[in-house]
Amino acid sequence: MPEAVTIDRLTKKFGDFTAVDKISLAVNEGEVFGFLGANGAGKTTAIRMLCGLLLPTSGSGRVGGYDIYRDNEKIKKSIGYMSQKFSLYGDLTAYENLWFYGSVYQLEKRVLKERIEELSGDLGLGEFLDRPAGKLPLGWRQRLALAASVLHRPKILFLDEPTGGVDPVFRRRFWAMLYDLADKGTTLFVTTHYMDEAEYCHRISIMHHGRIVELGNPAELIQRYQQPNLEELFVHLISKRSSEPTDA
Amino acid sequence: MHKLRFIAHKELRHILRDPRSLIIAILMPILMTLLYGYAINLDIKNIKLAVIDFDRTSASTDLIGRFYNSGYFSKATGPVSIDNPEMILKKGQANAVLIIRPGLSEAIQKLKNIRNRAGLAIDKYELGLIVDGADANMAAAAGSYSSIIVSQVIKDNLPPGFELPGIKISRQVLYNPDLKSSHFFVPGLIAIILMMISALLTSVTVAREKESGTMEQLLTTPVTPRQIIIGKTLPYVGLALLDGILVLVFGVFHFGVPFTGSVLLLFAFGVIYVISALAIGIFISTVVKTQQLAMMGAMMVTVLPSVMLSGFIFEIKNMPLILQIITHIVPARYFLLIIRGIMLKGSGLELLWVEASFLILMSILLLSVATKKFKLRVG
Amino acid sequence: MLRTILALMKKEFYQVIRDRNMLRLIFLMPIVQLLVLGYAINTDVKKISTAVYDFDRSRLSREYIKAKTAGDYFILSSANPPVLDAVRGFKENRFSAALVIPNDFSERFIEKKPVGVGLLIDGSNANSASITSGYAEMIAWQFNRRQLDMPEPIVMRQQMLFNPESESIYFMVPGIVAVLLTMITVMLTSMAIVREREIGTLEQLMVTPITVPALIAGKTIPFAILGFLEMSIALLFGILWFGIPFAGSWALLYGLTFVFLFTTLGVGLFISTISRTQQQAMFYAWFFSIFTILTSGFFAPIANMPQAVQYLTYLNPLRYFMIIVRGIMMKGASIDALYPEIIAMIIFSAVIFTSSWLRYSKRVS
Repeated sequence: MPEAVTIDRLTKKFGDFTAVDKISLAVNEGEVFGFLGANGAGKTTAIRMLCGLLLPTSGSGRVGGYDIYRDNEKIKKSIGYMSQKFSLYGDLTAYENLWFYGSVYQLEKRVLKERIEELSGDLGLGEFLDRPAGKLPLGWRQRLALAASVLHRPKILFLDEPTGGVDPVFRRRFWAMLYDLADKGTTLFVTTHYMDEAEYCHRISIMHHGRIVELGNPAELIQRYQQPNLEELFVHLISKRSSEPTDA
Repeated sequence: MHKLRFIAHKELRHILRDPRSLIIAILMPILMTLLYGYAINLDIKNIKLAVIDFDRTSASTDLIGRFYNSGYFSKATGPVSIDNPEMILKKGQANAVLIIRPGLSEAIQKLKNIRNRAGLAIDKYELGLIVDGADANMAAAAGSYSSIIVSQVIKDNLPPGFELPGIKISRQVLYNPDLKSSHFFVPGLIAIILMMISALLTSVTVAREKESGTMEQLLTTPVTPRQIIIGKTLPYVGLALLDGILVLVFGVFHFGVPFTGSVLLLFAFGVIYVISALAIGIFISTVVKTQQLAMMGAMMVTVLPSVMLSGFIFEIKNMPLILQIITHIVPARYFLLIIRGIMLKGSGLELLWVEASFLILMSILLLSVATKKFKLRVG
Repeated sequence: MLRTILALMKKEFYQVIRDRNMLRLIFLMPIVQLLVLGYAINTDVKKISTAVYDFDRSRLSREYIKAKTAGDYFILSSANPPVLDAVRGFKENRFSAALVIPNDFSERFIEKKPVGVGLLIDGSNANSASITSGYAEMIAWQFNRRQLDMPEPIVMRQQMLFNPESESIYFMVPGIVAVLLTMITVMLTSMAIVREREIGTLEQLMVTPITVPALIAGKTIPFAILGFLEMSIALLFGILWFGIPFAGSWALLYGLTFVFLFTTLGVGLFISTISRTQQQAMFYAWFFSIFTILTSGFFAPIANMPQAVQYLTYLNPLRYFMIIVRGIMMKGASIDALYPEIIAMIIFSAVIFTSSWLRYSKRVS
């Protein structure tokens, strides 16, 4: 299977502090990849490098076949991004938000209109389209943010903690929508620290202090480490790492 | 009492840690004093004068010299076109153009040779002065200063013992004989700074706690709203008075502003004035939701009126009636009269009691309104 | 790219229109400011309340007093008050001047001898004190001329151009317009950019294929338009309400405003790169505005400032714009008169906008 995202020894240093330390991984097309780690582990920094928001200090990477150093603009055309802040314009209605982002992605007017209808149907946004985004309840804002990120049918979708603060019912429904997208061929790269969500992913990686400490299929990993569930696995791995002396 | 001290202490730490507060409390007063002391000078002393001299004699050179040495006029900027005085004004090269037609030298000779009064009935020699009316004050000043210089020329060239009849104004300036503008603005500046620090900083304080949610926290403790207000505002009183004293000292010792009245009286009124400013600040603070709005509101309601409508720079009696009425609710108006009176004229309570009563009344009123509003908001 | 810019502009306008406070700021502020500043800022020295001591009490002295108080300048506040009262009067600010006419006034005057008339002036306000004495001299001169019917050997014929009614408001309003334009564009631009950063939408935009020029254009053009709108409101209000003249070319004024806007928008852009919160942005914008305004010649003439400061004002773009606005409006000046200022402004605008642009680009990549 062709690879959607490949990174090799990607590193980001801020002065003396190494936020991301020589991480390497590959995500296959159509995969739902979970990027786990504790707060401050370096997940957001890594995603931002892949999205072209941050320039790496060293290492290489390809997103959608394009080089992250040289082909930044091409990458941006083929990826979507949903941030934990659900970056939406509060005083614009849901419809206006979608129209705006669609225009920025250069979608033709007619195409955009159809796409917005399609998405609001899929995500159940219909009745909320005329409401200011700032007045939407959290769960619906989440969906709106998701819709805004896929208007242009990106091949790869990066989601940074997309379910923060949302209730469990909505979270599960959200993941159902994500799976829908994956079924249709979109590659999903999701960071989260909800372990139950991680079990939904095809493969996961766990970051700790800027390094990837483990990578693989959740079920396999649970078995391999003989842990009852992913959460225990996570704690086990992290505490093991913390007590070991740091290796080069 | 102990609780008060604790709240005041916390507030002080807030102030010292917030760079914005520090800028307002320290940098601004310094900058304002420097600015008003050196940059903002409304005196009309440097009227740019372009001279077109068609006479070109020693007499005209002397006349030109008198203009430039008078202290009122300065040279025009850049080369001027002698056939288009209007262009000189349009270009802003000068505020006024003096045109010396040929014949000045002869006219002055005639003056010197006058034997009797009848000799005054000689052909008039006319000088031309074209003035840029855009700045009306400067235009008027240019006109009157020029007249003075010309009459001086006439007087100097009349034969000895010959005096021009008519009124001569002998002027005497009271309270500021050297006509130093610092005497006028330093007291005003103190009033502005006191108002600014007290109101501006105080307005932010309650809003800040509301924003971060710590106000709720405070209210769950056995502290009363009144204690909160007093504790919060005490550091600002101190800070404001400190700044006021600094500017005062600077003004007296550096700019040479006199201090002829009672220091104690000024201090007492200063405190009352600061209290009124604080009250306004607290009021704004309780009405507004964010620190941003608090600061903007404080600026609009306190600093701006204090600068514009208090008589600081612009005369109240020149304003239209509506504005004059509005100035009555600006505390700075009263304090300004008080501080100028005390510093420059040595006035005492018996002369300033009207302003004093107004100020005290205002402070009490504002304070009770603010306290009530505060209690309402938090209770 | 044009589509993107238009989308950005549309979004910005929607946001502005939906924010009530913003609307109030934009439309009310110019009018309120013009009203308050226009009426309060009055540096004319008029209606000087004067105590008059007439020790001569002749027809002539009364004529003189009448001449003195006839116009707008001196107002007879009190005739022959007791001396102690006069002192109190000065201290209480009941009068700012006292005229003393000696008892041999008419005698000497009729005999064509010089007569000294005393004028006491409250020097607290040095500026108005000098102007007061200037007026007194002028009135005395005119009185002399009229009463003595004397031909003067040397006279000065004065002609005033550009503001025959001598309204100081005419001088102020163009300045206020320039000031408003500066404050609004700098503040709104910087805050708008920082706000997007705060709510996270800036990041979202950066992930899209949007280019930096498109982003900058989208964030500055709306405020340029707003600036023009404000200026027009202020100008119209000034002309219709205050009756200020407009002697020059509207096209030239707007054209040069367009050039000037590059400066203010550039500064707004710059401030957005050094502020982390909207509050900081507002603070910096305000600080910048105040400083620029005070040293632009708005109401305190630059010529009065110490040399060092005067040199510094050459670096103040508002200084040039102020001259341009006043020149066009009050004197009907055009390019041939204003070209030095125009060139200076073009240079400033280019430099400031380009360097802010570069700095902004650097920060986002």
